[in-house]
Amino acid sequence: MSLTPFLRRVLMVDLVKGLSVTFHNQSEKQRVTEQYPLERPVVYERYRGQPRLKVNPETGEPLCIVCNLCALACPEQLIVVKGERNPATKRKEVVSWTYDLSRCMFCGLCAEACSTDALELTQDYEMALYSRDGMVLDQAALEHGPEPVRYAK
Amino acid sequence: MLDAIKTYLHSTVTPGEAGSQLWATVYIIVIVLGVSIAVIAMNWLERKILAHMQIRLGPMRVGPHGLLQPFADALKLLIKEDIIPRNADKLVFWSAPVVVTMTAFTTFLVVPFGRTHAVTDMNIGVLFMLGISSLGVLGIIMAGWSSNSHYPLMGSLRSSAQMVSYEVAMGLAIVCAVLMTSLNPTGTGTLSMIGIVEAQNAQGTWFIFKFFPLGFLAFVVFAIAMVAETNRAPFDLPEAESELVAGFHTEYSGFRWSLFFLAEYSAMLAVSSIAVTLWLGGWLRPFANTLSGPAWDMAFSLIPGLSFLAMAAGCFLGTVRMPKIIQMRAQAIGLGVFGALLALVGLVLLAPGVRERVEDIFWFVAKVACFMYLYIWYRGTFPRYRFDQLMKVGWKVLLPIGLGVLILTALVGMRQELLAAVIGGGR
Repeated sequence: MSLTPFLRRVLMVDLVKGLSVTFHNQSEKQRVTEQYPLERPVVYERYRGQPRLKVNPETGEPLCIVCNLCALACPEQLIVVKGERNPATKRKEVVSWTYDLSRCMFCGLCAEACSTDALELTQDYEMALYSRDGMVLDQAALEHGPEPVRYAK
Repeated sequence: MLDAIKTYLHSTVTPGEAGSQLWATVYIIVIVLGVSIAVIAMNWLERKILAHMQIRLGPMRVGPHGLLQPFADALKLLIKEDIIPRNADKLVFWSAPVVVTMTAFTTFLVVPFGRTHAVTDMNIGVLFMLGISSLGVLGIIMAGWSSNSHYPLMGSLRSSAQMVSYEVAMGLAIVCAVLMTSLNPTGTGTLSMIGIVEAQNAQGTWFIFKFFPLGFLAFVVFAIAMVAETNRAPFDLPEAESELVAGFHTEYSGFRWSLFFLAEYSAMLAVSSIAVTLWLGGWLRPFANTLSGPAWDMAFSLIPGLSFLAMAAGCFLGTVRMPKIIQMRAQAIGLGVFGALLALVGLVLLAPGVRERVEDIFWFVAKVACFMYLYIWYRGTFPRYRFDQLMKVGWKVLLPIGLGVLILTALVGMRQELLAAVIGGGR
């Protein structure tokens, strides 16, 4: 038996090393736990969460021109857009817009395909529901946008 | 009555020596309450410190920083259903937690928190503590046997085997310290807990530094054996969750289980106080030799109050740093009130009359608290030993070291007499 490993065992070097690791772990800098409802997690800038349909802030009209590109781009085919041409303005207008969140995988291809930047995936991540009923979003829900939960008594 | 109280406040001996039954009773009540509070505090500290070592937060929601968590736990345990298995031996099942708790608390009878702060000074103090605390294993075996279930039985068998093996090394280490007490002109040692601390005071050194490294080695043997003796990690085989569910208290629930919990933690406190008394100078303040003189005495006597004030300052800092939202307001106020209480205790401890009377208790408790931290630290760091490794450490490492240190201590302590005998024999 050579001397160094013997001394390491006798002086319990490995045990002391382990003790120092756990001791340094106590520092506040090491801590990663977030107290979720009280502390909001920091979401990355390009995080893809709940979808939203933008409206023209001045007129309140939807920006969507019913080009159907998003529905074509969607790999899950969960977007259904129906529109009708308005004879007066000669533009297509939305009749119904549905987005099935329960099948969405948040790939973001729909938002990329959108020709008018009307559809975006926001940074809201609180999309859990007690049943599937509320998961198919219609135009009103999409335009209203996500409603982050406020935890208060 | 008032005179009895007043006369005792200037006493220089323990109530047992003074023959004062009133004060002995008061001390017993105070110690039982104090140990219970220490166990509650340990419960919270263990969860917090262990969590921080694992980069978690630990309890945060019940009270500020989870301060009320132990009380919530205690309430939960009290209102839990108390189950006795149908095939259990009812009488033994009932008495096992009582035996464990009683033995754990009885040991505190001789623990000297200060020269006057012990229930009594027994001339066989160390022997008494060892005897009573090893009786605790009887309760564990009773619990395991009476549960009429496999896991508790195996847990209690492991526990008894472990205790028997480590008791030997522990005893040898203790004999080293007891030998060192006999290094005085009369040549007689003592087993009294107070006598041992006074011997360290008279010899001007704590026994951990005596005959370096002999005293230190004996202390290390004891420090390892005492972790095994109290069934704590990394020697917690009797309650190894991954193998034995919960070991000997698998079948216990509710209040009976909490008695086992209480007993485990008070046993930890008890063996730590043995270690502090035997090697770390009991209630003596640190640096009594190098930093001596009235000025230093004064400075050290201020430390208890100042440390409480520092803890209070920590609480106030926590209050300021609490998130400024409406849901946390109650917690912030609670932490502030707790800090104010600590500050009050600190100010009381700074008062001259109280200061001199309580300083020794503070040093003793501070040293025991270091051991409690070590227990948690070990638990947060070391994985559990296998049973054969445990036996190997006990019999093949600690026992020979303990024996060797004992013999060397005796030789070094008797060196002058031995030399004289050799020289005298040569003539």
